[in-house]
Amino acid sequence: MSVMKIYTRSGDRGKTSLFSGERVEKHHLRVETYGDADELNSVIGVVIAYLPDANKKIREELSVIQTNLLQIGAWLATTPQADVQSALAEITDDMVTGLEQAIDRLEARLTPLKNFILPGGHPSSAFAHVARTVCRRTERRVVQLALQEETSKTQSPLKTIQAYLNRLSDYLFVLARYCNKIHNHQDVLWK
Amino acid sequence: MEVNPSSSDGKPVTTRFHSRLCEQRPLSAKAFELILSRPPGFDFKAGQRLRLQYAGTERDYSLASTPQSKTLRLCIRHFEQGLVSPRLARLKAGAPLWFTGPLGYFTYRPSSRPAILVATGTGIAPFYAICRTHTFRFCLLHGATAPEHLYYETFFRQQAQPYVPCISKPRTRLPAGAFSGYVTHYLERHLAPGRYDFYLAGHEEMISDVTLLVDDRFSGSQVYAEIFY
Repeated sequence: MSVMKIYTRSGDRGKTSLFSGERVEKHHLRVETYGDADELNSVIGVVIAYLPDANKKIREELSVIQTNLLQIGAWLATTPQADVQSALAEITDDMVTGLEQAIDRLEARLTPLKNFILPGGHPSSAFAHVARTVCRRTERRVVQLALQEETSKTQSPLKTIQAYLNRLSDYLFVLARYCNKIHNHQDVLWK
Repeated sequence: MEVNPSSSDGKPVTTRFHSRLCEQRPLSAKAFELILSRPPGFDFKAGQRLRLQYAGTERDYSLASTPQSKTLRLCIRHFEQGLVSPRLARLKAGAPLWFTGPLGYFTYRPSSRPAILVATGTGIAPFYAICRTHTFRFCLLHGATAPEHLYYETFFRQQAQPYVPCISKPRTRLPAGAFSGYVTHYLERHLAPGRYDFYLAGHEEMISDVTLLVDDRFSGSQVYAEIFY
């Protein structure tokens, strides 16, 4: 019987296994990057926990984003040209387009912004802002990883992941505003 | 075949397959094989596993059969106090069984590095599938407490280069070419420094011990692992 163990002890001396089989130090850029994607996923979980049950559509949308982030994590944990890439679910442009449509849908329910806003308000909004900033950090790491690997191919999965994270942080910004709106909190404007 | 309810993004969560038991074969006092009919539409890669739904619970078992096989072969450790395996051991031919899958990524990945396969217990099952599906040179370290637990030994003796049974608690005469001790001890003493592809399937202690050994002595190697109870 094969099992999925939470602990294996093989990481006790500071190394870990990539999905593609390499053993690397736990501070390796690739590990830092999928670690950030994991952190982002966790913060989105907090946002979901603070959303009212009635907001089914947004909860489902965030759940799909969490699934996509797991797929992205698998790509980030795999070195380029590794044979196992063929086993991974593709990161597609449609995922980016889906986020753009979600942003447009949420923005249509909000008053246009004329000032910067201070992160905060309802906990769901405050955590959406935390998610946004973790998303930006993940994006910066992906850019660094792509540069390190000299990924020049425009069709590289890292390029699509970059675009997805760039759009996701925009989505999380709009979501933070929307969360305040549905909880009757005013955005705090920067004066 | 039936498809479970869809997830929120419209993709099926999992596919449930219906099968029947064709045969049950003992491998030793501690393990047995179940041979299942292969339902239409169930495709898999050598080394993957399925999730058997039985007795109100689920268990993952690696497939010992090749993707071309007409039946599905499972290699199951018999836990006397277990919830599932004693009942599976008593099943008669024709019994209905349900499972989902295929699952996992423990598959053969071609490379220029030498392949070192390490198995303990029923962890030999995915290798029995992989090594009959792909043609490649490999060394197999086959760990067992006693020679009677070296499942599929005859096949691997013919295919592995070399085949090294590692018997951890020898009470009788060792089989030909066998090493007395754990697989990790063999690796420490006999594997030349270098970069390898290590495929590990078996008990978690073996997997953690070999992985740490790879970090210490075979840096730059790849490690692929599947943990078995």
